[in-house]
Amino acid sequence: MRYLPGARRPLSVCLMLFAFSASSAQQAPAEPAPNVADASSSRLDVSVAVLDPGIPEDESIHRDLDVFPRIRNIEALFLPFVIRQTLVETGEWGAVRVVPESDPAAEVLVTGTIARSDGETLTLHIRATDATGRVWLDKPFTGNVTDDYADEDPNSGTPGYQALYETIASDLLRSRNTLTNKEKTAVREVSLLRYGQQIAPAVFGDFVTTTPDGGITINRLPAENDPMIERIALVRGTEYVITDAVDAKYRELHAEIASVYDVWREFRRKTLHYAQEDARRAAETADDGENGSYEALRNAYDNYKFHRVTEQEQDRLAVAFFVEVGPRIEAIEARVAEMQEWVDEKYAEWRRILEELFEVETRLPE
Amino acid sequence: MKKTCCMILAFLLMVACASSKPVISDNMRVLDGPMPANLSGSWERDFTRGDDTNAVLGQALYQLSKRSARAQQSAQPTFGYGYDSVPRRDRAALFAIARLADEITRLQVLTVSQSDKEISIARKDDYAIFCAFYDGVAKTTESGFGAELCGWDGDHLVSNVTLPDGLQITHRFAVSPDRKRLRVTTTVNSKAAPIPFTLNRFYTRFEALPSDFNCVETLSMRRVCSTGDLEL
Repeated sequence: MRYLPGARRPLSVCLMLFAFSASSAQQAPAEPAPNVADASSSRLDVSVAVLDPGIPEDESIHRDLDVFPRIRNIEALFLPFVIRQTLVETGEWGAVRVVPESDPAAEVLVTGTIARSDGETLTLHIRATDATGRVWLDKPFTGNVTDDYADEDPNSGTPGYQALYETIASDLLRSRNTLTNKEKTAVREVSLLRYGQQIAPAVFGDFVTTTPDGGITINRLPAENDPMIERIALVRGTEYVITDAVDAKYRELHAEIASVYDVWREFRRKTLHYAQEDARRAAETADDGENGSYEALRNAYDNYKFHRVTEQEQDRLAVAFFVEVGPRIEAIEARVAEMQEWVDEKYAEWRRILEELFEVETRLPE
Repeated sequence: MKKTCCMILAFLLMVACASSKPVISDNMRVLDGPMPANLSGSWERDFTRGDDTNAVLGQALYQLSKRSARAQQSAQPTFGYGYDSVPRRDRAALFAIARLADEITRLQVLTVSQSDKEISIARKDDYAIFCAFYDGVAKTTESGFGAELCGWDGDHLVSNVTLPDGLQITHRFAVSPDRKRLRVTTTVNSKAAPIPFTLNRFYTRFEALPSDFNCVETLSMRRVCSTGDLEL
């Protein structure tokens, strides 16, 4: 093979890539990385995306559905970390990360929507898919606060709902256990190919095709020693450094607001009890006093008054909650956005470099 | 005689209209542009003005006795303490709404916060009257305990709550052009009452003293205050 003048460039860009990778690695967060990928084939990496807060567009039904939009948005950032922690604690997975957006190239991707969260009941609609497009889970999970709620760790941010997260974790595990080692290896390979497709579409564009139903068809596989695949793995490793830093930010967020969130949850739970108490009292006193009598009217007025006072107290505390955690959320969101922006910029750079390399390596000698 | 007949007819017509026409029409619930009046501020009760509950009750009984007398073909309504011509049930129902109206209008201070889209009238020891026009239409607050509606009738803010037992309470807030006085007209009606009962209360605006502290309400620490800038 004759070396062309341009053939020097790949070496220089490769050096840039390695140098960049090394410098990025130095920027890794100080916290211990919780999610070091396991080499054993059964341990797939999991990305848990920030949840869809499930806020109905029609504002007029928020009150009826007990939806506090700003708090739902906080829960959407906060609860994925609890799912992640539960998965990490099982010791059955590789790297488990909270990611700001769903990543179709993830080996296993967990996404979800908050269907209900009122302090006593939490319903999450969880969907889990692997890189090959196989759907592992797609169903709602509901947890209720039990009477032994008080015995749980008050700073966990999850009192009463741990059973829900454990059910999600065990269902995921059950799905994973149905796969053969060969299938798990395929998941990992397709994941890398899909990542390659994202970062260097000109190179990997035709390796895999997504079918209309979301399935994945592998059209061809790269050679075992394809240097491009090694580079993609290298770039992905670099991106994981940033992803871990983002994940660490969600962990920080969880640590900072868990206790305040628990106060809110406890308040919401009490509010529900007050509402039930109000309804019970209203039903019991419905016959008090003759129709139109002062006693009957006063009773109707007081029932309404107590109900509205409870609602307004709840609104006031929802604002108080947001006042307290809002600045922290904003700071973390800004930091995550900065990191995301950095990744996007690097993506463009990596894409250009990889495509240049590909062009040089596949160019026919003149 | 002819004049009296006309007055009675007009009164009956008024009562009939009041019971059939909604207190807050659809037009009143639409806000297209800025709020028609600025009610914001702190208001304290002006005890030198406003209705005397007993006097209003006396007038209502007098009207009723006249109506009853008319119904009984008697030209002479009873005066003084004798309202015997008014059926006992009507009297009891009227006393009930009058007592309720008197009790719920004893508020000494009102604090009104107003923005482009919402208005909140905080009342000590009672729920805040809240009116929001997020999409240009006042939102209804509805639950098993009652339904609350609000709207603007010209430059008067009107809030109406419908409760079980046919109980209806309407507050009408009118601010003077110089924004120094606020009149609150409260009408209470029930299914059993022969006529609604209305009381006027007056308030004067006062400037709440500025605090030396900057305070915010938090969830875990409750109220947090500082003499400087607040950082949570």
